[in-house]
Amino acid sequence: MEAPLSTFGEITVTIVKSSRTSWTGLLFVLPFLIVFIAMIVIPLIWGIYLSLHKVDLFGPGRFIGLENYVRLFSNKIFLQTVINTFYFVLLTVPALTLIGMGLALALNKESPVQNIVRGIFFSSTVLSVTVVTLIWRIIFIPNDGLMSNIFTAMDWQPIAFLSDPNWSLISVAIATIWWCIGLPMMLFVAALQQIPSDLYEAAAIDGARKWQRFYYITLPSITRTIILVIIIEIVMQFQLFGQALLMTQGGPNNSSRSIVMFIYDAGFRRWDVGTAAAASQILFLLILVAAMAQFFVSRKKGASQ
Amino acid sequence: MNRKHSLIALAIMSCLTAAPAIADTQLHLQRFFGACEAKYGTNKDVSKAEGECGIMTSLINQFEAKNPDIEIKVTTVEWPGYDQLTAQMASRTPPDLVTMHNSVISDYQSRQLILPIDSLLKKADIALDEFTSTALNGVKREGEVFGLPIDTWTMLYHVNTKLMAQAELINADGSPTLPSSPEEMLSMARQFKEKTGKPYLIQILSNETAAYTRLMYTYLLQQDSNFFADASHISLQTKEARNILSHFKAIYDEDLTTKNMDYPASVSAFSNAQGGILLNGNWLLGTYTAESNKATSAIYNAYKAMPYPKLYDNDALYVDGHSWVMPNKKRSDDKLAATAKFFKFMADNDFEWSRTGHLPSMKNVLSNPDFTSLPHRTELMSVTTRGQGLPGGVKRQFAVQDIIGEEIASAITGVKTIDAALKDAEERVNDLLGNL
Repeated sequence: MEAPLSTFGEITVTIVKSSRTSWTGLLFVLPFLIVFIAMIVIPLIWGIYLSLHKVDLFGPGRFIGLENYVRLFSNKIFLQTVINTFYFVLLTVPALTLIGMGLALALNKESPVQNIVRGIFFSSTVLSVTVVTLIWRIIFIPNDGLMSNIFTAMDWQPIAFLSDPNWSLISVAIATIWWCIGLPMMLFVAALQQIPSDLYEAAAIDGARKWQRFYYITLPSITRTIILVIIIEIVMQFQLFGQALLMTQGGPNNSSRSIVMFIYDAGFRRWDVGTAAAASQILFLLILVAAMAQFFVSRKKGASQ
Repeated sequence: MNRKHSLIALAIMSCLTAAPAIADTQLHLQRFFGACEAKYGTNKDVSKAEGECGIMTSLINQFEAKNPDIEIKVTTVEWPGYDQLTAQMASRTPPDLVTMHNSVISDYQSRQLILPIDSLLKKADIALDEFTSTALNGVKREGEVFGLPIDTWTMLYHVNTKLMAQAELINADGSPTLPSSPEEMLSMARQFKEKTGKPYLIQILSNETAAYTRLMYTYLLQQDSNFFADASHISLQTKEARNILSHFKAIYDEDLTTKNMDYPASVSAFSNAQGGILLNGNWLLGTYTAESNKATSAIYNAYKAMPYPKLYDNDALYVDGHSWVMPNKKRSDDKLAATAKFFKFMADNDFEWSRTGHLPSMKNVLSNPDFTSLPHRTELMSVTTRGQGLPGGVKRQFAVQDIIGEEIASAITGVKTIDAALKDAEERVNDLLGNL
């Protein structure tokens, strides 16, 4: 009689121990969970709720179903901001990834010069958006701007970088790439430094050329970092706001207006919080889909390799 | 224990000494006009102050010095500061008084976020007929007064008289010859370009939308266009609107204006005599007057400021103004009395504020020799009677201004046809106003 009881008792003890362990684990993540629920989950649900209402900042509003979404999809300006934002992401994300990787490859050496140059390239990232746009405004403004002076000195027709609808978003993208290049570069440098040097030594003994070493050793070793950089940059650049607001105010003819600018305008300047919330949900979905698509495509590729 | 006793004694003493400070009435003011604490933070002599920020800071300092029982707490916001104010009101923590454009009052008044101040004006012994008609109209909604108007402002022609003389566009009395019709303006602009090699107009065409909208409003008003027949509907697909856009597009197409300039670039272009007439607000009056007195300046002894000329049927001008308004919240009688005192002080010192270049809101300043002897003021006084704002009930005027400005700029720079731009502007504004 004793043995089965004892066995039963042991099992019971194990179960109790396991459940105690999981609750202890939960306690450790509780602070984060509280912040996550308070700052992300509740605002997200609250945003969805607001998007179904005609509401401003000063009253309860009234339920209007999907009307805000219907209005958005028939709003030429909103649709243009969606196109502009995708165009901006297309302009910046590949450039940030490629230039970041290029700089990291060039500066992936332990020498004082390389360290200083890495610091210089990273320094733009710590500047505030106001300072960045001031610097690029000085470069792009007509008449007295740096580019204008260069074009005039070369006897070329100056380009209206900030007031030509074909150039406005490109100008904002150039400023953004300059501003944001530090983070991808540092992530790539960190990834490159993780690659064991004996791999390169073995490849050198086998007579591999430089590009072969890059293609067969470096690139596969930093694939995860490439995916990380692309996803981070997609999420960041979809949220274009400060640079465009300060450099072009979304103009001319809304050619550089982003989705976040539209949301800000609707929510704070027109007090149309319902429409702003609906546009925010659409932006959230766009970022989610774009980032997840990139993630799954990269994972599939990795698996097939 | 000794230490504990000392701490208790210190706490009691602190409470006792703090008592007189608590007894003071505190007024929390929130304003734009910039920050200049380093230069004017302690200045109480308003006559020694210059510029919007300097004069406003010194006025508040002087008020505080004259009313030791009232403590003023000032929050300076980035222009125009309405996002911040809206957030404060949403969280029910608005300031006691806040600066506001008259064109924005309807937004807050229609949601009962600001209070009428008729009774406070009475308490402060300020009669409504002491205000200019333009200033009073700017703050009156549904028969009640919702702010203490401190000025009226409008867009001006800032003229380089030296270049105008070179273009033979100067009158015998030294004043610039301004056009009286769109056709005359075009021919003068061509003549100016031919004689000086410089553009007739300096305009803000990049990164700003307000200037073009204000110009549009002025010339729609001059054609008696009833473009806001009701406050929630605009009509822009009209002959009058097409007239204006065709005219300014012709100026643009013939290179008779500067192009691609943003606000700061256009301001410095006028200082550097890069064109004949800058279209900008009266707030630049003081700056350019000072500059025209410097022998080294490109506009030395060559500056005049005039209201927009009459190009069409009447001489109306679009104007706006700044006011102190009172957010809706509970106040003690002491605080209301302090507010009334502040209103009285600001009204009594309207001349000092008019030195900024803004036009006075108080009638008595218009006849004050100190005011009339200020440069250019006699030419500009008519603004206080010719000026009109949009109908009082039109809401979200800043957002409307942005939409119209964007579309006009698209038409003038050739991104869109005039008809397409006016159609889009009309649809966008009506969509905005129809969904409030």
